[in-house]
Amino acid sequence: MKSVVTTVLAAADAAGRFPSGSDLESVQGNIQRSAARLEAAEKLAAGHAAVVKEAGDVVFKKYPYLKSAGEAGDSAEKVAKCYRDIDHYMRLINYCLVVGGTGPLDEWGISGAREVYRALNLPTAAYVAAFQYTRDRACAPRDMGPQALTEFRAYLDYVINALS
Amino acid sequence: MLDAFSKAVVSADQKTGYIGGAELAALKTYIANGNKRLDAVNAITSNASCIVSDAVSGMICENPGLISAGGNCYTNRRMAACLRDGEIVLRYVTYALLAGDASVLEDRCLNGLKETYIALGVPIPSAIRAVSIMKASAVAFINNTASKRKIETPQGDCSALASEAGSYFDMAAAALR
Repeated sequence: MKSVVTTVLAAADAAGRFPSGSDLESVQGNIQRSAARLEAAEKLAAGHAAVVKEAGDVVFKKYPYLKSAGEAGDSAEKVAKCYRDIDHYMRLINYCLVVGGTGPLDEWGISGAREVYRALNLPTAAYVAAFQYTRDRACAPRDMGPQALTEFRAYLDYVINALS
Repeated sequence: MLDAFSKAVVSADQKTGYIGGAELAALKTYIANGNKRLDAVNAITSNASCIVSDAVSGMICENPGLISAGGNCYTNRRMAACLRDGEIVLRYVTYALLAGDASVLEDRCLNGLKETYIALGVPIPSAIRAVSIMKASAVAFINNTASKRKIETPQGDCSALASEAGSYFDMAAAALR
């Protein structure tokens, strides 16, 4: 799993040397920035149920056709799966906030997502709408600190760009 | 390869759970002690050749047969190989200490090491002894109690990091046993 520390260590190991001064500097920089990331991760972990529900509700309100027969949300079971998927992305964002990189989203979420959505005939636009809503709805300092919010939004934007 | 953060992610993913409260608390201690950890890594890397040569010399002093004809450190070539191996183990222990997780040490160094040493005829008890001397001196450097070489660092208690580093050396010794 890619993170700042593992990237530094992989480079040092490839060269067969001990961690150098500049390696330690970049790890230190990562540590100094991590407080905001972990705050965002903590707030998201605490409130994810509400965040997911709100985002999902907005999507089904915005695209009511999704619940008509033959569409992606035409049964309660399918609707539940949509909420589950949004929750899945939120969990991966939580992981990215912890690691400080897009590794978890890349490896477990985005890679192959386009093919899966095409094969199952799922509308990515609906997911994009959900994450856009979450991005614009989250605000500081009500939900989290301003720096934490910047980090959170950066990963939401990353998902949005990957899905659109 | 994992570090303290990605380790938390991988284990949370197995439970498909979010990383909150308890797991974050452990990571926050990693961050709070970040500078201590970097100083500890620096203490080892700055004294790496001293730690390694001291351990190998100590191992030979206790068992002079190693450098007499037929011994495993007889000839400069084999002595050099011995010093090199000591440095490799120390290097991966340092990586593990920086990452706060032993996976890099286990995957890239200890996995198969015992089998390699047996195949090459390296005396395992001597290798274990060298690792344990390296442990003692690395712990002394981290705690800044090495009598002839003090590093100017802010005062603080690094005993937790010293015992973490010690556990990685123990892991190396256990893998050879």
